[in-house]
Amino acid sequence: MKEGFRQSMAWLHTWSGLLVGWILFMVFAAGTASYFRDEITLWMKPELHAAAGAPVAQAVAIAHAQQALERRARASPRWFITMPTERDPTVRTAWVPERKKEQPAGERPKRRAFGSAVIDPATGQELGMARDTRGGDFFFRLHFDLHYMSAIWGRWIVGACAMFMLVAILSGIVTHKRIFKDFFTFRPRKGQRSWLDAHNLSAVLALPYHLMITYTGLVTLMFMYLPGGVQAVYQDRTDSFYAELGGTGSAAPKPSGERVALAPLGPMLAQASAAWHGAPVGRVTVNLPGDARATVAVSQQDGHGIGNNLPVMTFDGASGRLLSASGDSGGAVATRGVLYGLHLGHFADPLLRALFFVSGLAGCAMVATGLLMWAVKERPKHFKARADGRIGFGLRLVDGLNLGAVAGLLVAMAAFFWANRLLPGVMPQRPEAEIRWFFIVWGVAALAALALPTRWMWQLQLALGGLLFALVPVLNAATGGVGLPASIGHGMWAVAGFDLVSLLLGVFLLACALKLRKAPLRAARLAGSTA
Amino acid sequence: MSAAAMMALGAFGSATGGFTALSLAMDRHWQDAYGRGSEPGPGRRRLLRLGGSLALLVSLLACMALWGGPKGWVAWAGILTVAALASSLTLTYAGRTVARLGWSAGAAAVLLLGAAVLARVL
Repeated sequence: MKEGFRQSMAWLHTWSGLLVGWILFMVFAAGTASYFRDEITLWMKPELHAAAGAPVAQAVAIAHAQQALERRARASPRWFITMPTERDPTVRTAWVPERKKEQPAGERPKRRAFGSAVIDPATGQELGMARDTRGGDFFFRLHFDLHYMSAIWGRWIVGACAMFMLVAILSGIVTHKRIFKDFFTFRPRKGQRSWLDAHNLSAVLALPYHLMITYTGLVTLMFMYLPGGVQAVYQDRTDSFYAELGGTGSAAPKPSGERVALAPLGPMLAQASAAWHGAPVGRVTVNLPGDARATVAVSQQDGHGIGNNLPVMTFDGASGRLLSASGDSGGAVATRGVLYGLHLGHFADPLLRALFFVSGLAGCAMVATGLLMWAVKERPKHFKARADGRIGFGLRLVDGLNLGAVAGLLVAMAAFFWANRLLPGVMPQRPEAEIRWFFIVWGVAALAALALPTRWMWQLQLALGGLLFALVPVLNAATGGVGLPASIGHGMWAVAGFDLVSLLLGVFLLACALKLRKAPLRAARLAGSTA
Repeated sequence: MSAAAMMALGAFGSATGGFTALSLAMDRHWQDAYGRGSEPGPGRRRLLRLGGSLALLVSLLACMALWGGPKGWVAWAGILTVAALASSLTLTYAGRTVARLGWSAGAAAVLLLGAAVLARVL
């Protein structure tokens, strides 16, 4: 009975893993990149690299932001200010455009484009010339919304894949007979055995991470997957549920029409920061700036607790008086906040984020080796069954999809960064153009892979991806960014880190491509071994 | 180096040393290090297991001291992952040097954690 159970789990593990593996690799790769979302965005705006120098006091930065907004968005009903951090050294401001009078009452207002400006915190100057790009947000959205389809569909697909992933992880634990005996074991140059070792090693050593990230990933979207509870209580007023969840309160204040100058924001930030034992302010939201009923909501910067529910203090905009302070939430909300925060890794200081990044890479390796292993296991059967040495349709399809999903994606990710630098700095719909290049390259790579799923194609795509990644530091220095020697010299680790990680990844991919050159010998051994 | 960095590196060092000791308590990896046919004596095996487990515990304590409760667990899990990867890959590609890796990681951990604790006390 026990053996039967284990075998059925092995079957479940194989098929649940294979069917969603191609999407999961993308989810893992893009999700892992998202740990450095801010750094990626900064790198993709080389015009801002120079501002990444010395940190600026919050009081100075907020004063400059307030001046800029009073100049640019005096009549706006709401301002958003994101304070500079080590990872994103600029002040980002955004505002809701002025409400049009002819809006028909009762009709839901269409979402209009927000105004936005990026400000140098030290000088108050607008850094308006930064190129338009989705930056790291592209990978972040891609890993749960997909692209070229509605976000809702994307989330259902990714959610289903994540559910399969959870099944694959749990059934994988049951199937793996030698978790402790093989804990440290990797035997290279042994064909199928090596693939299994690599799969086991990347899975077992980062197992806590894999379980955590898959489970918390499902939790981040739980209200979409399981809407019943919310709908039963809130019926058709689910909007107010999310408002209460977010702690923003359900009703936005109505303007009084009386103009009163907004009090300086600096002292409010200082008061909030003092109440949080010195933790800096992350975001500032000003409702009805310049109105007598203005309010200012100040929330703490990410990274000073594990949860995703940040404490907020609300001030009266005209007088600067403290109105309310939030921060204590009920058990369920706090639990969800912690799970959400764990998934995002927002709490992480640089070292913790690096550990998450390495574990994420282990996840990529686990999915990729799992996919490849299916093909490696299947191949000898085909060689035996068919005298002409040709392989069947199913295996050929899996080979092609593996190649396109793993190597092709890496080429496309590199191409995205190259498009960011090589497209003209100012052009209509620039962010969309970069994204289009990502998908064009991926599409071409996938088609080539399906047409010719051979070892040579693996070599070609790995070498191409490796070259593109390894040359990223050169590209950066040549197209207006701060080059590697200068960025290291000035301690701009956000910029230098991107270059260094790309270089390492590129060298690794090139090494993989080179290793495949010595392949024919091993291919023969591989075909012969049916261990 | 700041006390926090010493504490973090110390946690990593003791985890690497601990995993190396635990791996050497297994026949296969002892052979990776000391050649085919050799095996650790029963006393040494027990010592390796005990020392390895203690070192992992020390790295947990260091994570707790540096990051506090919940974050400490998360950090420990991440450090264990990277440390186990380091010992596994050393066993595979440079088996003969693995004992040296274990000893130097352990010694570095003792120094770093000692210095970090001193810095905190003083």
